[in-house]
Amino acid sequence: MLRVKAGETQKLGLLYERYKKRLFGFFYKMNKDVGLSEDLVQNVFIKILKYKHTYTEDSKFIVWLFQIARNASYDSFKKSKKYIHRDIDMVGYSISGGDDVQGAIIERENTITLKKAIALLPPEKKELIVLSKFKELKYREVGEIIGCTEGNARLKVHRALNELKDIFLTLEKA
Amino acid sequence: MDYKEFKETIIDYLSGNLTDSKQQEFEQFLEENPKFQEEFEATKLFWNGTEEEIPEPTSAMDVKFYTMLSAQEKIIEKGSIFKRIEQLLLGSFPKQLVYTLAILTVGFFVGNYLNSGNPSDETLTIAKQETEKVRSQLVLTLLDQPSANKRLQAVNEVNKLNEVTETIIKALFSTLNNDANVNVRLSAVEALKNYTDIPLVREGLVASIIHQKSPMIQMELADLMVVLQEKKAVKSFKKLIKEKDVNTNAKQKMEESIQSII
Repeated sequence: MLRVKAGETQKLGLLYERYKKRLFGFFYKMNKDVGLSEDLVQNVFIKILKYKHTYTEDSKFIVWLFQIARNASYDSFKKSKKYIHRDIDMVGYSISGGDDVQGAIIERENTITLKKAIALLPPEKKELIVLSKFKELKYREVGEIIGCTEGNARLKVHRALNELKDIFLTLEKA
Repeated sequence: MDYKEFKETIIDYLSGNLTDSKQQEFEQFLEENPKFQEEFEATKLFWNGTEEEIPEPTSAMDVKFYTMLSAQEKIIEKGSIFKRIEQLLLGSFPKQLVYTLAILTVGFFVGNYLNSGNPSDETLTIAKQETEKVRSQLVLTLLDQPSANKRLQAVNEVNKLNEVTETIIKALFSTLNNDANVNVRLSAVEALKNYTDIPLVREGLVASIIHQKSPMIQMELADLMVVLQEKKAVKSFKKLIKEKDVNTNAKQKMEESIQSII
């Protein structure tokens, strides 16, 4: 990244190849839309070029990358808030559709309920779980990305997973 | 590690946020207390459950990215042309020095080329010719002055001329033969000495020997004729020696000259 910053723009290709899947995965988990996720990945790299002068060696590149990614995701979410809500409902239907075909296997049902629960989880909490699942990102880095302390990040991740459990249990009962 | 701590660290364990020693401690606790295994598995299910199948990004994304990248590079290249010029002009001190010297050299040659053109040569020649003309006019005017001093100045002006005209030479001879002042006549001889390579001057000098009354002029001419080895002068000198009122010293000098010429 420092070489990109120094003007070797073509080196951005290397960074793109290294991080495109993780970025795409992050966006896809957040919005369940392949096309939109691809556009957001593109946006992130445009922003990297635009704001390359703000990057410093002090922080890990992946932290900086996900700070940009998070903003991009947040912007797109704000732009199409209604659409996202419909999207969540749609995911629910499509999964229950799959459920009918696969039959009544309890484990499968659990998985599907879990997926529904994840879809219902507020975006900022989903984002926390998605981020903390990246191997490179410990609580400290997650904290840096979302803008809080390490301890606070840990607490938030715990709460997010607990909320997921609660949603799951509510869905199971219903 | 107790149950409370175990429960609190399940997520930290799953998210890889435990130190190596803590991680070992956690695994050991789980091994020793199989009854908590179920709870661990349940949380793990939730944690891994968020691991959904992610479709592969399409190749269109790559195409888009690389198109964007090459477009950006072109923009940067365009921008950098101006930057390069700027860097070139405002580069390091040695660079600036080199450019300054280069510009000076080019300026020197351009100036030289523009100034070395024929027109300026012509102008210079014309100017010189004009100066000569003015000087000749000055000589002729001054020779007509009643003051001997002015006439002397006129003869001195002749020495400054690069080329003498026939008019000037005639004026000088007229001075040599007719001027009332000896000093003026003497300096006329001095002036004419410079043009002895002109036949007209030599002839004039020989012809004027006979008209000279002043012994100083006679002696001066005698010396000059020796230098020129002018045999035609012998006749004139012999004629002059025969005249009555000729100075003895002059006579002697003329005789010596005749001997030297022959």
